[in-house]
Amino acid sequence: MREVAVIGVGMHRFGKTGDDIVGTKSVGELCRTAVDAALKDAGVKWKQIQAVAAASSRFSGGKGWGLNGNDVVEDLGSTGVPVYNMSAGCAAGGNAFNVGYSMVAGGVYDIMLVVGGEVMPKGMIQTSGVEEATDPEFLRQRCIGMPGPSFWSTLARRRMFEYGTTEEQFSQVAVKARQCSVHNPNARFQKAISLEDVMNSPYVSNPLRLFQICPVSNGAAAAIICSAEVARQFTSKPITVATSTVATMTFDDMLPRGLADPITDCPNLHTEAQNAVTSAFERSAIGPGDISFTELQDNTCYYELAFPEEWGLCKPGESERLLMAGETTPTGSMPINPSGGFVSFGEATTAMGVFQIAELTWQLRGQAGGRQVPDAKVGLAQTLGLGGNATAAILKR
Amino acid sequence: MSEERVPCVEGLFSEENGVAVLHGSKCSNCQTPYFPRSAACHNPDCDDSNMEDFDFGGKGVLWSYSVADFPPPPPHKFDQPFVPYVMGVVDLDCGLRLIAQMVEKPEEVKVDAQVQLIIDTLYHEDGKALTTWKFKQI
Repeated sequence: MREVAVIGVGMHRFGKTGDDIVGTKSVGELCRTAVDAALKDAGVKWKQIQAVAAASSRFSGGKGWGLNGNDVVEDLGSTGVPVYNMSAGCAAGGNAFNVGYSMVAGGVYDIMLVVGGEVMPKGMIQTSGVEEATDPEFLRQRCIGMPGPSFWSTLARRRMFEYGTTEEQFSQVAVKARQCSVHNPNARFQKAISLEDVMNSPYVSNPLRLFQICPVSNGAAAAIICSAEVARQFTSKPITVATSTVATMTFDDMLPRGLADPITDCPNLHTEAQNAVTSAFERSAIGPGDISFTELQDNTCYYELAFPEEWGLCKPGESERLLMAGETTPTGSMPINPSGGFVSFGEATTAMGVFQIAELTWQLRGQAGGRQVPDAKVGLAQTLGLGGNATAAILKR
Repeated sequence: MSEERVPCVEGLFSEENGVAVLHGSKCSNCQTPYFPRSAACHNPDCDDSNMEDFDFGGKGVLWSYSVADFPPPPPHKFDQPFVPYVMGVVDLDCGLRLIAQMVEKPEEVKVDAQVQLIIDTLYHEDGKALTTWKFKQI
């Protein structure tokens, strides 16, 4: 395996259809902005890209078949390069990065583009839309009536029972996230909010409130990756990919995903995420104690408290104390989501895995401005997607 | 005259002498329970998938719950006007972690409560009461 480097990243600021940020831009236009920025950042010309790994979307572009990478290549100029369109729900951006990383590490290509972009439909994310008794999503909706946010509020309620977490503490995660977003020009929301603002926002699914759950957004992100040898032609300070991993859930997982699951003694609720992160630690020989900061998938504030414990970044039940002591802010001892996270960006589903790579790169280069993690040396990124998909990546300088 | 009661989805459950029964299956080799029925055992440690029909029900403990504070999008169905409802995740004594609506109001529900599986009305359509399985605190 060869060492792989990130030499350029770019992003289109996240927004909502019709607003002043993304307006009516297509996913192709959003991706173009992100890719142009990443190429410029790397000092690489489009014709030097040997292959493309793209996140597949079922919501926008991709000719209705998730061929989003082909859209990008046609737009930038059809050079005949191989395109890999990766589908893994909200983990697709992370999957695309992993495929790019694996290809370059394995010596198949020397320089690749990794890209993810999304224009989201309005409202809650709809599931399959299939109305058949053989479809578990349909059964859950028709027989029980369980909309998406209920899944997250079930987890939040359990944490309140196990650790005494308060609604104010969930709210404090959002306050912390939005404080970071003030310093992120790519965030959709860039205004700080108070604890009172969060507590006054309506319940979407008790105990979780509107400002504690990420909305859907439009946005795009891109990264140029290459072998360490090629990187030296473009920069004296490449960011090194220590590892990139993909995992799926295991049978003993106790997360309530369908109508019913066999009860096991597995304490972990997101085995796919734990498997991806644990595998990243093992492959890179980098441990939780070596991580300078983490970008994790905070669809809701609950995850900022639960995930660090499940991965060994801190002890079980310790997250609330660390949060309240300010240790999860960029200048704390365990910075989480210095970008502002999904709560500040909104989720442009398949762009998120690449969005995290961009933030890790800016942080490790020391280019993160007012949200900079001081002396950031090693960053951890993690995504989670429908179907029991997860990815992790560790970048270092 | 009582209204006609019809399952919201046929074949998944029934009410036998007032007792709620879920129609699932169990692997006779590794004893893994499944609901709804599964054609094959999904346990990677089980090397002899041998599925048999099995009925589930009875009591359990409420692991956690959530509240639908807003009307959910289709294909969800509910009576008008919308009233926020509770969804419980229950560890049943029979070995299943099962999801269902709770009959109680949000402020009445407590994590770790003992619950009983019942059949109850989910919504009304064409003059009929469409039923499903639910939990009731005991």
